Amino acid sequence: MVFNSLGFIVFFAVILVLYYGPFLGWVNKKRMLLFSSYVFYGLWNPPLIILLWISTMVDWIAGNKIYHETKPNRRKFWLWVSMVVNLGFLAFFKYGNFLLENFISFVNLAGFSYEPLPMNIILPMGISFYTFQTMSYTIDVYQRKLEPAKTFLDFALYVTFFPQLVAGPIVRAGDLITQFYEEKKATVDLFIWGLFLLTLGLFEKIVMADTMFSGAADAVFNADKNLNFWDAWAGVLAFSAQIFFDFAGYSTCAIGISYMLGFTLTDNFLYPYGSIGFSEFWRRWHISLSSWLRDYLYIPLGGNRFGLTRMYVALMLTMLLGGLWHGAAWTFVFWGFLHGTYLIIERMLKGRFRFEMNWWNGLLLAGLTFTLVNITWVFFRAEDFATAWNIITAMVTGFGEGEKVLGYFDLTKVFVLSGILFLTHYYMRHHTVRMVTSSAGPWITGIAWATMVFLICISHGQGEQFIYFQF
Amino acid sequence: MSRSDTPLHLRKTLWITILFSLISVVSWEFFWRSRGRIPDLPDDKFLWAQTRAKVENPDASSVVIIGSSRTLFNLQIPEWQKMTGVKPIQLSTAGGNPIPVLEDIIEHTNYAGTLIVGVTPGIFFSKISKDSRSWSRTQKRIDFYHKRTYADRLNHFLSIPLQNNLAFLTASENEWADDIDLKSLLRATKWGVRTGKENDPPFNSFQYLDIDRNTRMSDRCAHDTTFANTVKRVWKSHNKKAKKSPKDEAVLYVSKLVKKFKDRGGNIVFLRSPSTGFYKEQEAKNQPREEFWDVLLEKTGVKGYHYDDYESLKNFDCPEWSHLSGEDADKFTNAFVTLLLKDNVLPQPQNN
Repeated sequence: MVFNSLGFIVFFAVILVLYYGPFLGWVNKKRMLLFSSYVFYGLWNPPLIILLWISTMVDWIAGNKIYHETKPNRRKFWLWVSMVVNLGFLAFFKYGNFLLENFISFVNLAGFSYEPLPMNIILPMGISFYTFQTMSYTIDVYQRKLEPAKTFLDFALYVTFFPQLVAGPIVRAGDLITQFYEEKKATVDLFIWGLFLLTLGLFEKIVMADTMFSGAADAVFNADKNLNFWDAWAGVLAFSAQIFFDFAGYSTCAIGISYMLGFTLTDNFLYPYGSIGFSEFWRRWHISLSSWLRDYLYIPLGGNRFGLTRMYVALMLTMLLGGLWHGAAWTFVFWGFLHGTYLIIERMLKGRFRFEMNWWNGLLLAGLTFTLVNITWVFFRAEDFATAWNIITAMVTGFGEGEKVLGYFDLTKVFVLSGILFLTHYYMRHHTVRMVTSSAGPWITGIAWATMVFLICISHGQGEQFIYFQF
Repeated sequence: MSRSDTPLHLRKTLWITILFSLISVVSWEFFWRSRGRIPDLPDDKFLWAQTRAKVENPDASSVVIIGSSRTLFNLQIPEWQKMTGVKPIQLSTAGGNPIPVLEDIIEHTNYAGTLIVGVTPGIFFSKISKDSRSWSRTQKRIDFYHKRTYADRLNHFLSIPLQNNLAFLTASENEWADDIDLKSLLRATKWGVRTGKENDPPFNSFQYLDIDRNTRMSDRCAHDTTFANTVKRVWKSHNKKAKKSPKDEAVLYVSKLVKKFKDRGGNIVFLRSPSTGFYKEQEAKNQPREEFWDVLLEKTGVKGYHYDDYESLKNFDCPEWSHLSGEDADKFTNAFVTLLLKDNVLPQPQNN
């Protein structure tokens, strides 16, 4: 089920009635939330709930064993069980076809003819999110940073909590499980604020991502032609905006829905396109993933504790695997490679140039960062390297030449809205939505909110899936 | 977005939001109704899949109609039901080749009732290519049917009452030029000519559809010659590069399917609906009857009804060269069903 659907409105309305009605005690409310979460997931593909159950059972048992065992080898064994099961799911369901394709290419290259039948593996929605979330639980328990969940119900709800189940934020156990221990109820103000964020998230997804930007991005990336300079840039900017609004929209919905139930989820996006530099970009883009990779990959690989070379290697490996996390294709790995390269160059240059940062040179550097981030999106969105290379070539050399696939209105729309997006992010680096709405007052906020509702209603998309569901 | 600095006056903000949301949405609805728009269901993959599901559990007397837009417009379900007591399952797709549906029903169901297959020559006899526009148009719906989730079904079920009552929710996956969702309104905004596609004539919706996928030509298209001419311009534009169809390719493909269907006791009938003007000329040139329609009937051994062969089916006028008006579609359906009953292709209706 997706948030941007009529089904979700009915589903959530029923949950709110049961949650705030006088029918259930706290334990039964949690059972109801757990059951609802399985319904939320199962409405997409019921049999794949079994994977969720296996992941939940294995990590619940592993977490308890790790916590209570005293012998290091046994603790390590249970950690391995958790890792093998979760990474095994990922390897089979997400990377099975990719591994097979690469194996075939390799043996064919070696001169052997091998053509197995395609495996036709279904990618379970959100598998990358919930496997990372449960792995963080067992690793934290192993590292004695966390006590196991008090009850199986609390743990199962942590794994399955529907607002963030299929596309994050990837919540750490310490941040969410403890919220289930005591009864939660949103205040009226928190409930309204949650509703506002839910509307904002839906506006980002339905109006901005699907209505304003997806058409131009699709037209350019599916063109299969040598493109004109302006079209190539417009397509890339459109995808850049589309993926931000799509993913940030999902996270904003998840946070808003959680608020309406009285729970708090951590922020996942903080105006990333206003970042000055790539370290800052990764502190603002998909924060829950980048902090997961930092804590469970970059730091265990040595982080910055063993000298510059080791740090650069750790950084690059983290970004390469981060790229692969997004999709089973070499284009995603290259996307990670570009970001790794940017981060390494940034760290090499850091300290060599000293100047006082002001609004204007900050804007210039943010613009440079945004431009370079846009180049990486080409490899993220393109089906293959040939398409990516065509677009990159047009972005550099296609001035006055190449196929024109976008009309003047679409070009203007993409450039103007992308410009507004960039400037808004730059302005919001030191602000929050709450600060802006507070200072705007109830009339302006109310009219802006109503405008979002109106635009959502007149856009009425067909419940397009969020891009990150496939990751 | 920490919880500590919640802005003040949130309740007041919410009331203002509700007020302005209602005003704006109601105004938008009245605006479009004042422009003559009425609530209408979109002919989309969701409704098609819902209809396709009925083929899984049909009764013995059931009838399934597959074809392109001509069987969609010209065979009226209420008229058919009135005459036979059976409500046919309408699975035709505008602009879509019916052969993938024929294949899907034969290969993936046990259906052995009556199949009415509409033959629009330019589409039906086109090259058998899964990448072709007409083939993929139908195939996408079939794929969606087999992959649709419970969430898809729930969302569609909930959307029906809204779409049946609110004019501003009118939208279509056909991407008509006069669709009124925000994306379509933006798409319709053109500033000068840059890509060349701006020169294509606008393709406006000229039909209404109900929950059974019964489709009727709009009165505007039927009676307003100026509007009908806009559709004619689109047909000319779409067919300016039309070529002669490859001989035998579709016939051979269909023959194998038909044999399998007949072997399991299925009853199949081909129908060639009327066309006039430009389309009639194009079809006579590119898919001459003796080389295509007659060969199809001969190779498949299936009964076929060509409008030119029957007094009751000919002499209809198509306002935009390809489809019948609602009134004429009722008459055409009546005449066609009468022939089917007379020829015992359909069982005689039971009088209760």
